[in-house]
Amino acid sequence: MKLVHLALAVLSTVAVSGCKPSASGSGKKKIVFVTNAVDPFWNNAAAGVRDAGPKFGVDSETIMPTEGVADQKRIIEDLLTKGVDGISVSPIDPANQNDILNAAAGRTKLITNDSDAPTSNRLLYIGMDNYKAGRMTGELVREALPQGGSVMIFIGRMEQDNSKDRRQGTIDGILGRSEDSTRFDPPEIVIEEAGFRIVGTLTDNFDRGKAKYNVEDTLSKYPDIAGMVGLFGYNPPMILEVLAQANKLGQVKVIGFDENEATLAGIQEGTVHGTVVQNPYMYGYKSVEVLSELIKGNNSVIPANKMIDIPARQIRKENVDTFWAELKKTLGTDK
Amino acid sequence: MQLKKTLGITLLLLAVCLLTASLSENFLSSYNLENLLRRTALFGIISIGVAFVIVTGGIDLSVGSVICLAGCGLPWLLTTQGWSLPSALMAVALVSAGIGLLHGLLITKLGIQPFVVTLCGLMMYRGIARGFTGDQTVGFGDGFKGLRSLATGRIELPFIDGFALPAPCVFLLVIALLAAFFLNRTIYGRYLLALGRSEEAARYSGINTGRMTVLAYVLCSCLAGFGGVLFVLDVNIAQPSDCGNFYELYAISAAVLGGCSLRGGVGTIYGVLIGAALMQTLRNMIVLTTRHQHMEFAIIGAVLLAGVVADELIKRRHLRRKAVRSLREESTPA
Repeated sequence: MKLVHLALAVLSTVAVSGCKPSASGSGKKKIVFVTNAVDPFWNNAAAGVRDAGPKFGVDSETIMPTEGVADQKRIIEDLLTKGVDGISVSPIDPANQNDILNAAAGRTKLITNDSDAPTSNRLLYIGMDNYKAGRMTGELVREALPQGGSVMIFIGRMEQDNSKDRRQGTIDGILGRSEDSTRFDPPEIVIEEAGFRIVGTLTDNFDRGKAKYNVEDTLSKYPDIAGMVGLFGYNPPMILEVLAQANKLGQVKVIGFDENEATLAGIQEGTVHGTVVQNPYMYGYKSVEVLSELIKGNNSVIPANKMIDIPARQIRKENVDTFWAELKKTLGTDK
Repeated sequence: MQLKKTLGITLLLLAVCLLTASLSENFLSSYNLENLLRRTALFGIISIGVAFVIVTGGIDLSVGSVICLAGCGLPWLLTTQGWSLPSALMAVALVSAGIGLLHGLLITKLGIQPFVVTLCGLMMYRGIARGFTGDQTVGFGDGFKGLRSLATGRIELPFIDGFALPAPCVFLLVIALLAAFFLNRTIYGRYLLALGRSEEAARYSGINTGRMTVLAYVLCSCLAGFGGVLFVLDVNIAQPSDCGNFYELYAISAAVLGGCSLRGGVGTIYGVLIGAALMQTLRNMIVLTTRHQHMEFAIIGAVLLAGVVADELIKRRHLRRKAVRSLREESTPA
C-alpha cells in the first residue's frame, strides 16, 4: 500500500501545482482558504470566500483536502512554494500541526478558522466556540428527552480540537454539568449521570457507509436507545436513513449539528428535534476580509483574545423555515 | 484440497460468531443478522469480482474507485442530469464493463503489469467522479424509493417470523452460484484457473489466455460497478472523495482469506463469501462487544493474520506427516 500512497501523493501534487491562480499576474493579492475535508458544509464557506474576493479587491480561492492531515500539510506546503499572501486554514490536528502552521505563519499571513490551533503562531482564529456550541446541542437533547435515557453520539473524527470540544460540550450540556472545556470523557467509558446514560461515541472517518453501519449497530446493541446525536454534518442524515429503514423514525429522538438539507427537512417533518448551526459562510467571508486587512498591514483587526467569534444558533421547528430560506439565499440556490 | 483450504476460514468465522454471540445477546437478533447479511452481500459481490482477477494471477486495485464512479455516477445522472432510469443504468453498466475491457487490453496487448494499470485506474476513476460531480455529495434525497429497495428491501421468508432476507443477498446468491458454476463446471472457468497456475502452459495447450484475462477484468469491473450502485442505493448518498475508499482492500482481503492465492490458479467462490462475511462480522463484533472502536483495524488485522498463520501451520503439518509417512513406507522392506 505504501506504493499506492506514494503514487497518489505524486499525482495529487501534480494536480495541485497544475492549477494556477486564475488572476495571477494581475497584481491582486492572493488569499487561500484551506478546509479540513470535502463536505457540503464547506461549500457555504467557499461561497463566502468567493463573494468576499471582489469585495475586498483580492484573489480568493478555496481548497479542500481529501485525505486528511497529510494531504492538508502537502496543500499548505505547495501554497507556500507557490507564494500566497494569506492563508486561512481549518487545522485537522492542531496539537500536532504546529510545525507546518508555524512554517506558514513565518512566510505568509496565517489565520485559522472553524478549528483553532492556539499554540501555533497563527494571527487569530475565526469561528465559534465549539464547546459552547456543543453545550447548545446538549440543551436540545435535554429538551427532546426530558425523562432522560440512553444516548449515543456519532461523529466523523475525534482528533481535531473542534470535534473534541463539540463532543465534550454536548456531553456536559446533556448532563447539565458546570462549564469546563478542559474536561475529557474517554469515548470507551459509559457515563451515567442526571438520568442520562451516554453509551458511547462512534467515529466513521468520513466514510458514509461506515457512518450508517455505526447507527445500525447501535440499534442492535441498544434496542432501547432513546436519543442519537449526530455531530458532523452528514451524521444526522445517516441516522435518519437507518431509523427510517428500521421503522423507528420519531421513536428515537434525533439531535443534529450543522445544516444538511436532510437534517433541516427532518426538523420540518418532526423527525429531528433540532440542530445547532454554525455560520460557515461567514468563516469564509470574514477570513478574506481580515486577511486582506492584515496584508495591508492593518493589525488592528486582531482582537486582544485573538478570536473573532461567529456564534452558533439553535434551529428548532419554529425557526427552521426562516433559517432555510436565508441559507438558500446566501448559497444562491433559492432561484 | 479445496474443502481443506476453506475449512480453516469457516471455522474461524464460526468461532468469531460464537464468541460475539456469547458476549452480546443482540448479535443474533434478527435486526443485526439482517444488517450483517446485507453488508456481507454488498462486500461479497465486489469480492467475487476481485477473486476472478486474482485466480488469473492478476490484481485489481481500482475496485474502490469503480465503486465510487458507479456509486456517484448513477445518482448524478438520475438527479442532476435528469436521465431516465434505464439509460442511466445502461450507462453505468457500459462504463464499468468498458473499464474492465480497458484494463484487460492494456494488460494483455501491451503487457503492462496489472498492478500498474489498476493503480492508475484507482486514481483516475475517483478523480473523474470528483470532476463531474464538482466534488459535491450526490444522492437520491427522498426519491427513487423503488429503485433503492434493491439494496434496502427485505424479503419476508415463510415460516420465519421477524426475520427477512435483505434484498442484496438475493443478488449475491445468484452471482455466487453463477460464478461458482462458471469457475468449476465450465471449460472457461477451468481455463481461468489454468491460466492463473501457469500462463505459458495454458497458452501452449491452446487456450486463448489473452481473451480469458480480459474476461476476468471485465467481470471484476462489472461487479464493482454493480456493487457501487448497490452501495449508494443502500446509503442514499455518496461523497466522491470517500465513497468506496479502500474497499478494494476489503475485497482483496476477503478473496485471499477465502483461499485465493495471490500467485493465481487457486480459489473458490464459497471461500470468498466466507472471507467477506468474516470481515464484516469482525467489524460488527467490535462495535457490539467492545467500546474500543479505534482499535478496529488492529483487531481485524490481528485476527486475520492469526487465521492465515494457523492455516499455513496446518498445511505444513499436513505436508510433514505426508512426508514422514512416505519415508516410512520407503524404509519398510517389501
